[in-house]
Amino acid sequence: MRVESAGLRQDLPGHSRKQNRKPLRAFAQPALAYCLLIAGIIIVVLPLMWAAAASFTPNHKVFEYAYPFSWRALFPVDFTLEAYENLFARGFGRAVRNTFFLAVSTVIIGGAANALAGFAFGRFEFRGKNLLFLTVVMLTFMVPVDLTAIPRYILVNSFGWINTWQGLLIPGLANSLVIFLFRQFFAEIPQELIDAARVDGATWLRVLVSIIMPISKPVLVAASLLMFIGQWNSFFWPLLIAPRKEMRVVQVEISLAIGQYGTVWNELLAGSMIAAIVPILLIIPFQRYYVQAITGTGLD
Amino acid sequence: MMLIRSLILVAVLFTMALSPALAQDVTTITWLTLGWPVEPIIEEFEARNPDIKIEAEQVGFNDLFAQIQVRLGAGSAVPDVIAVDVPLVSGYAFRNWLLPLDPIFTGDEVEDWLPAAVDAGSYEGTLYAAPLSTSTQLLFYNKACFDRAGLMPPGADDRLTWEEIAEIAPKMTFDDDGDGTPDVWGFIWEQMVRIYQLQVLPESLGAPAIGEDGLTVDGVINSPEWIEAYTYYYNMFNVWNAAPQGEEFWPPDIFETGNICMFVGGPWNIPRFANNADLEIEWGVSRHPYFEDGVAATPTGSWHIGVNANTENVDAATRFVHFISTGEGAELWWREGSGDFPAQQSVLALFSTEAEFDELPMSYLRTAADEATVNPRPRAVTVGFLEYEQILQNIFQDIRNGADVEESLNLAVQRIESEMAKYR
Amino acid sequence: MRLSRQIIPYLFLLPALLLLIVFNLAPTIATLVESTFIMSLRSGHRVFAGFANYERIFSDPIFWKSFEVTTIFSLLVNPIQIALALALAVLINQRLPGIGVFRSIYLLPIAVSLNVTAIVWGLMLDQNSGMINGILIQFGLPRQPFLHSVDQALWSIILIASWIGVPLWSLFLLAGLQNIPPTVLEAAKIDGANAWQSFTKITLPLLRRVLAFVLVADTVANFLMFAPILLLTSGGPRLSTNLIMYETYRRGFLYGDLGASSAMLSVMLIIVFVIIGVELYVLRGHD
Repeated sequence: MRVESAGLRQDLPGHSRKQNRKPLRAFAQPALAYCLLIAGIIIVVLPLMWAAAASFTPNHKVFEYAYPFSWRALFPVDFTLEAYENLFARGFGRAVRNTFFLAVSTVIIGGAANALAGFAFGRFEFRGKNLLFLTVVMLTFMVPVDLTAIPRYILVNSFGWINTWQGLLIPGLANSLVIFLFRQFFAEIPQELIDAARVDGATWLRVLVSIIMPISKPVLVAASLLMFIGQWNSFFWPLLIAPRKEMRVVQVEISLAIGQYGTVWNELLAGSMIAAIVPILLIIPFQRYYVQAITGTGLD
Repeated sequence: MMLIRSLILVAVLFTMALSPALAQDVTTITWLTLGWPVEPIIEEFEARNPDIKIEAEQVGFNDLFAQIQVRLGAGSAVPDVIAVDVPLVSGYAFRNWLLPLDPIFTGDEVEDWLPAAVDAGSYEGTLYAAPLSTSTQLLFYNKACFDRAGLMPPGADDRLTWEEIAEIAPKMTFDDDGDGTPDVWGFIWEQMVRIYQLQVLPESLGAPAIGEDGLTVDGVINSPEWIEAYTYYYNMFNVWNAAPQGEEFWPPDIFETGNICMFVGGPWNIPRFANNADLEIEWGVSRHPYFEDGVAATPTGSWHIGVNANTENVDAATRFVHFISTGEGAELWWREGSGDFPAQQSVLALFSTEAEFDELPMSYLRTAADEATVNPRPRAVTVGFLEYEQILQNIFQDIRNGADVEESLNLAVQRIESEMAKYR
Repeated sequence: MRLSRQIIPYLFLLPALLLLIVFNLAPTIATLVESTFIMSLRSGHRVFAGFANYERIFSDPIFWKSFEVTTIFSLLVNPIQIALALALAVLINQRLPGIGVFRSIYLLPIAVSLNVTAIVWGLMLDQNSGMINGILIQFGLPRQPFLHSVDQALWSIILIASWIGVPLWSLFLLAGLQNIPPTVLEAAKIDGANAWQSFTKITLPLLRRVLAFVLVADTVANFLMFAPILLLTSGGPRLSTNLIMYETYRRGFLYGDLGASSAMLSVMLIIVFVIIGVELYVLRGHD
């Protein structure tokens, strides 16, 4: 059956028709592509525009133009900074600084540790390699960190790390997905590059720093973004481990807008907008690297 | 270069963060609590107790219960003091998470609390959570709706029956723009799917909320009274179409914009509406409704405060709990903290003496203070309250959305029994 | 020299693997071990119970209901996300004027956290005042209950998960597309292949490895997701969105039933493991 229908499909368009349609297709294909692109953009942008507009709207008017829908729902027609003022008066600025500090620390310290591990998995043959990779890296990748939070909390509590920066930071440094990305990238680097340096007597650390790193910009950017966004958006662990005011992170601060007696919608959305804008500012300029990094990992 | 510089910066910041706090002879205790304005009470307490520092850990309402479960369940010594939603006292005490508090209060202090609040904060005769606030419910109405429907609004001391509400609510539901969806709705419950407000429906018909053993629900929450009570609830949304089904709005918000004619809600709305200078509607309150053939029953219970049984700072923690739950501290917490109804009779008495409450609409708080004494019905006393509450909340959502009442309550029985098995 | 060569990889592995073992693997093993214990809620005393927790969840209709919901969810969400991600990747891989702007906009959802996404979409889908219904009635269409309906709630969750998931995975697939040498496709065109034929016969096979990765990673991500359920539906209406991960969370983190919770998590891990194995087998390479 399948063969027959495939044959039919091939015959139907026919050579003669194909030739007539060519100029039309040259025009129609991009037009269709633009239509589809714009349709998709609407789905992507609608919630973001509404949330952004609503964050600049007085709380009781947040839903005013959404139902029935009017274009006013997408622009802050009753413009006010009330939500942002309230947020920052409550200490949102400190939460942004805290989260930024944590995310940058994760990228630098965690990035170094993950890159070293990825290098070992990608470039070395050693006993227990596959076993370690499967049991440690793959298994931890498959387990949702939030759902193993109870034993992790007990452990971190026994270190006395409740309400400390190390309690917030250290458990999230190692990241199996990032190790995996590094491994794939390093594995693709031509052996000659490394051999040349090794013959010159360079140590492995030296090879990593002076030969590998300079050509690894895409994977470094991609891994950094992954770690940054992961830490920037983390909620459950920071809430458990360091809920005190001075240490609150962005997502925890946002969640406080959901109260027992109702939610302050415009503050919730204002916090969400600030939470989203930081990673967006990082993603857009680096998107080229992001794609390159994955291209270079030999996944394809 | 950039990288190296940021590395150094991070290393410096990191070591700073790791270095132990400056030596001090003050005890710091942590207080796990909600997003209330906590600064005034903390400042006052610290001024009176220079040797103690309070660190507030504020979390969202939805996150509090998992916080307590994980942290106290792990045997952690932090937080030292926790906000306790009163129906959870049994469950926490059963798990030995809370310090018995009887020794820190005098007889007079205990007697100052509303007896129902003391009972609710106790488990097997021992006080585990000191009462901070209590609550009650009133019917709020928008006078314009009654005018429009050609009806007379009730007086502050009238008590409508649920049957009367069923009759007038559809008459006050208006579809002004003709799109098939009302723009003004007749009625809603403030916390429309929470057992806190809904338990008094079957209780007004005389039916209990849980079996004698505090665990059994079969034959209790699917009894004929429960089915009758929640058929009423079902009808309000699905047959009389007088109540909106969504949860993303908060009823007092749409009451203020004139889109809800009546709602049953807490006295915390009275100062809210009274202090809203932009409020255009004319509103009033009356007593909590009841079923014609039944009795008046009002919801009660609110926030208590407890001490972690594993705390390393028993003295400091209990001193704070004592301060906030009695005398001047309790008054301060009521005035500048929770804004909820106080559980101390001495503080409650301020409603009848202070001039602030002489005039309408703030005098409605006196109505509320009196309503709080009319057959207040605490929530089901069970060690598995959280399970009981959350499953019923799911079930009430289903019924509101049009699920068969009896079938839904039977599903609730199945689910709750499955959870309660672990306590048997 | 030889000795150091043997030690070096272990030294490189040490920091990251030590952290992973202490903070990820150990808690996972502790959870698996916990599933064989029953804890007295009153005293906190734990007794070894063998498979008692498993027997308990396997005889619990609520568990089987969430098993069913999880199966349906996975069978829907993964193919949908991957098909849409592939379509999106092909679209943003077109050489068209202004495509860079489109690409940037399509990346926006990746930056938004799942919690925020869930909350914003929850509001958009509200049946009384949500924008989607606001748009529907402008077109004269009836309002929809979305998250409040047994038939639509799971689809709404799929929409929310896909709003982030489709752009995220399309990024990986875009990278794969860009790695295909244009000469290969040119050659196919000269041979008379139409666009569809060169896509199925050339592009797809060359994308096999990246597709395999995306399929595995997406499957895992969707199995583990429970934030939208927690924030929006609590598993309802009538358990129609009660994914196993949410049930696991609810039992363990709210009701303190660690035995049942960790037994469910263990079952899930085994299922995820098997599914990944099957996926990798189906998409296995011949090289």
